[in-house]
Amino acid sequence: MEETIEEDERSESVVLLRSSCITQWSQWQLLDSILPTGGFAHSFGLEAAVQTRLVSSPEDLETHIIHLLDNTASLLLPFVYSALKSPDLETWHKLDRVLDATLTNQVSSKASVSQGSALFRIAASVFTEIPYLKTIRDASLGSKNVCFHHAPIFGLVCGLLGMDSETSQRAYLFVTLRDVVSAATRLNLVGPMGASVMQHRIAIVAETILEKWMDREAGEACQTSPLLDVVQGCHGYLFSRLFCS
Amino acid sequence: MATGKVVVEKVGGRSTATSSFSKYPLKFLLPTKAAPAGTDVVWIYSITYGGGIVSGDSISCEFTIGDGCTAVITTQSSTKVYKAIGSKCSEQILEARIGSESLLVVIPDPVTCFSTARYYQKQIFRLVSDSNLVLVDWITSGRHANGEKWDFDFYKSINNVYLEDDYPLFLDTVLLEKRSNQSIAERMQDYHTIAMVILFGSKVKEIQKQVQENVKNMMSEQLQISYGGRSRRQNSESSSRNRFMKPEFIASCSSFGHEGKGVVIRIASDSTESVYNFLRQQLAVLQPLLGQAPYAC
Repeated sequence: MEETIEEDERSESVVLLRSSCITQWSQWQLLDSILPTGGFAHSFGLEAAVQTRLVSSPEDLETHIIHLLDNTASLLLPFVYSALKSPDLETWHKLDRVLDATLTNQVSSKASVSQGSALFRIAASVFTEIPYLKTIRDASLGSKNVCFHHAPIFGLVCGLLGMDSETSQRAYLFVTLRDVVSAATRLNLVGPMGASVMQHRIAIVAETILEKWMDREAGEACQTSPLLDVVQGCHGYLFSRLFCS
Repeated sequence: MATGKVVVEKVGGRSTATSSFSKYPLKFLLPTKAAPAGTDVVWIYSITYGGGIVSGDSISCEFTIGDGCTAVITTQSSTKVYKAIGSKCSEQILEARIGSESLLVVIPDPVTCFSTARYYQKQIFRLVSDSNLVLVDWITSGRHANGEKWDFDFYKSINNVYLEDDYPLFLDTVLLEKRSNQSIAERMQDYHTIAMVILFGSKVKEIQKQVQENVKNMMSEQLQISYGGRSRRQNSESSSRNRFMKPEFIASCSSFGHEGKGVVIRIASDSTESVYNFLRQQLAVLQPLLGQAPYAC
């Protein structure tokens, strides 16, 4: 009798372990740069910063990226956090609307919408074990009032994939850092090797940024680098450009 | 409890301040001769005793602009935020309701925070779908002449615009705070003034178009000169120096709201004067509505 109970427990824990392993595969895939969310079409204002000569040396680049991460953390992490805390349709719609009013910079707003739409499309097709993703996406596709901004969708997907709150917020900064570093190599500001070294160095700073800004509600979202916002807004005025934002 | 309150309503077909109240440290001046006779507008000068806000001061104003009225809220000089005593913050709260077919123009001088100052500002605008708003919000790096450059401790400015039923139309919060590992000056590079201009509604539609066009031309030209020089590989001294110089004035425009009914212009400049010039030029077309041009000397 006792033996069977033990066996039951063991098989239960095996199932649990297996499902948590599967979850990890999903979580890694969400952060993998091969996931076609279109992040690589964006430089997050870096291209405009280079052309306005706000960034003209490797030191400038590193400072710029740190300011960008800080601004992303203060402005967008609250939306990731609020969405993952209650990953449901109503909360997401509300956050999407608030973020649409908050991203008053047309360039970054468009970038957010295109990346958010792509992420949701892919997540709904890839993570079929969570049918709710497809359900709420389908329910929102026709609606004129839903913009599909990136940060709340990222939080929503993380929440439904069972990623914990702190990891999800760190992951958001990770993908931002990953994409801007990638943009820097394609703008020829730094080589691939140098870029990786820099990315690793910035990670330490990024962790302190995360500590400062994580776990805040959407109502606390703010900009900390207004200069970046002015410069990114100039992206549309660039004579020649490689990126969408 | 509000420290100031003004209600503007139509009386005999003209915009009229039907009630005005203010108490220390705030005072309103409503000069009747601010605009020439025949212009339908109320000018409200918001004045603080001592020309600034002392640490710990809390000012809160309410404005109601009735249907079909036009009002201007302005200052006589920059708002100085004096040094903080302890961790006390100085704060200014403004809430304005703008009626149907009304126009509210908020054109203050910039905020100047002294070293160690702590300043919190929250401005809420409640609109209906056919209200009109012009808002300028700006800050300078401090008392330049005294060697203070982004030397204050804390600055937070919130500008939220809602359409009827609390629908968020434009939400903006800027936070600049001194942190142990990073100064505000580093973030601002060599820029000394940061400004934001909001233009919303059909009464300012022409200005929106004009400003967007002007900013686009101005910036495209500047970017082409500065960055184009790179590919032409001119080796003359001037071009190589140019190559490493940041523009003295950067501006960009974005539209917001349904059908782009609103336009926001963001500016970074190395001098306050160049922003005054920009505002004077771009907002001059408001003169017929306001009786005098914004930021006219």
